Amino acid sequence: MSLIEVRNLKKYFSVPAGLNHAVDDVSFTIEKDETLGVVGESGCGKSTLGRVIIRLLDATDGQILLDGEDVTRVSGKKLKQVQRKAQIVFQDPYSSLNPRQRIEDTIREPLHNAGGYSGSEIKERASKLMDLVGIDARLRASYPHELDGGRRQRVGIARALALNPKFIVCDEPVSSLDVSIQAQVLNLLMDLQEQMGIAYMFITHNLSVARHISNHICVMYLGQMVEKSPTRELFTTSLHPYTKALLSAILTTDIYKPLQRVQLKGEITSAINPSPGCRFAPRCLYSTEACSQPQQLEEISKDHFVACCRVREINT
Amino acid sequence: MNHNSEAFLSVRELNVVYTSGKKIVHAVNGVSFDMKRGETLALVGETGAGKTTIAKSILRILPDPPAILRGGAVFLEGEDLIKKSEKEMLKVRGKKVAMVFQDPMTALNPVMTVGDQIVEGLRLHNDYSKSMAREKAIEMLQMVGIHAQRFEEYPFQFSGGMKQRVIIAMALACNPELLLADEPTTALDVTIQAQVLDLINELKGKYRTSMILITHDLGVVAHTCSHVAVVYAGKIIEYGTREAVFVHPAHPYTLGLFASLPSMSQDCTRLKPIPGTMPDPTNLPQGCTFHPRCPYAIEACKNDEIPLLEIAPGHFCRCCNIEERPEKCL
Repeated sequence: MSLIEVRNLKKYFSVPAGLNHAVDDVSFTIEKDETLGVVGESGCGKSTLGRVIIRLLDATDGQILLDGEDVTRVSGKKLKQVQRKAQIVFQDPYSSLNPRQRIEDTIREPLHNAGGYSGSEIKERASKLMDLVGIDARLRASYPHELDGGRRQRVGIARALALNPKFIVCDEPVSSLDVSIQAQVLNLLMDLQEQMGIAYMFITHNLSVARHISNHICVMYLGQMVEKSPTRELFTTSLHPYTKALLSAILTTDIYKPLQRVQLKGEITSAINPSPGCRFAPRCLYSTEACSQPQQLEEISKDHFVACCRVREINT
Repeated sequence: MNHNSEAFLSVRELNVVYTSGKKIVHAVNGVSFDMKRGETLALVGETGAGKTTIAKSILRILPDPPAILRGGAVFLEGEDLIKKSEKEMLKVRGKKVAMVFQDPMTALNPVMTVGDQIVEGLRLHNDYSKSMAREKAIEMLQMVGIHAQRFEEYPFQFSGGMKQRVIIAMALACNPELLLADEPTTALDVTIQAQVLDLINELKGKYRTSMILITHDLGVVAHTCSHVAVVYAGKIIEYGTREAVFVHPAHPYTLGLFASLPSMSQDCTRLKPIPGTMPDPTNLPQGCTFHPRCPYAIEACKNDEIPLLEIAPGHFCRCCNIEERPEKCL
């Protein structure tokens, strides 16, 4: 049994121009101890996906199974139990902390809300958490504005860990941090996973970060999953034209490696009232008539799924 | 130090502080560098290193107060921009030196059509009639890949990548000799970043524009710049050609930056971050400002001001313990 199983998940937003298909028919599983990287450009629905899974947003259709139990529509006490098991670390450590709350209180808040802890237990747990994420005890009574970005993100991680979750959605947790601090936070997240067996869904637009931290990677484009594969395989044999373009746009620090960039036409459009066919087709170098039909996700090799009707032709 | 009269741009001993209440933030502490015409220099460093302040002091657009220029000179083709009057500077800004700002969402005037924003600069610096300026602006838009029909549209009707193109068109409209690009692709998605970088490279080649590219992304530097200056706590700590800095990085901070990046070719389980954080700019450590975080620091690093030493022809490094560093710790 997988820790997280998502089946045909859909989230549509009603906007003046119609229906925004932010997440459209996405399925995957995440095992204990594992990290699923979700990559894609802004507006591809990766954050919405994360929020729907931990029930910050309600799904339009589909199923979310946590520990084998369907939690898609639970409410009240049951929902609270879900939220103990599934937490989130937000992208922006500047706006995701309450500026008027001391960081110690921020970390204690989930424990208060969950109930069942005595005052001294909460105090003890909070100082343990601060120790765990590497925040100096002397900063206990500081306010967020007194901390730098890296430390703030550590507070966000401590808050997410407070209730011993089994699963954490990390929504671009390092993208607003400088590289040296980014490396510190990535190491922390990986250490915590090793110690506590937490599963992560790691949302990022940075492919080298995704490669570093993930066991599997799922590539999204306008609300749909276009490719999913074990990490190593994705970087050696990517199959979907969009994945290929994304990978080719990575700028490495190897100055002798020639760029073989796949230039995409135009920009990402929107998922409002999309046509039934492949949403990437208007920018795709290989698009044909057949691409106007709905694309099926197909298992090309073990665990490697691609949604492209021309996948065999373009990869031979 | 005398300025190099052959250099196209020569920045000498630039010092900028910000006042914040009674505190003084030491943002730029004695920055000097030279650039030849047609060169692309990258200013690399983390948030708060002083990169943007350096660029803004070249154009003299720092808000004063709180920013105070405490000395230094900026020679552009031999003329010191710092000594120029405000009126003379108006002729430099947008004409000889143009800037592309980091955030395309806020750099455009929201209540003016993008076309008019380009026309404004064109008419200010050239003796163009309205229709001539309009024609030229349309030409600029087309050059950055925007259809002439969008001339009358407002910034909110453009996506992030398209806005950045508008800003590039605006910056290049008067054929500047020096382009200051402050994190031009940071706010953009990777595939759009690729398009914008290609565009900048192409236009730079076409007009032989010199460019200072400010970024924290070493990958962007590797594929666009000819020279690199690594900035830490308001000082250049390493300077050299792209090859020198990327293949033989010398300063422990530069080495640390490279080691912090997740590799695309090797599998490693742990990254090697630089310990600690940037020093407080109101209270910089004595001696080498990097010594509290440096694994190779020795006693001498804590006391003396470290000079920028030439360690190979054209490759400079501000480190007094250069022998101890590992040859390459990537």
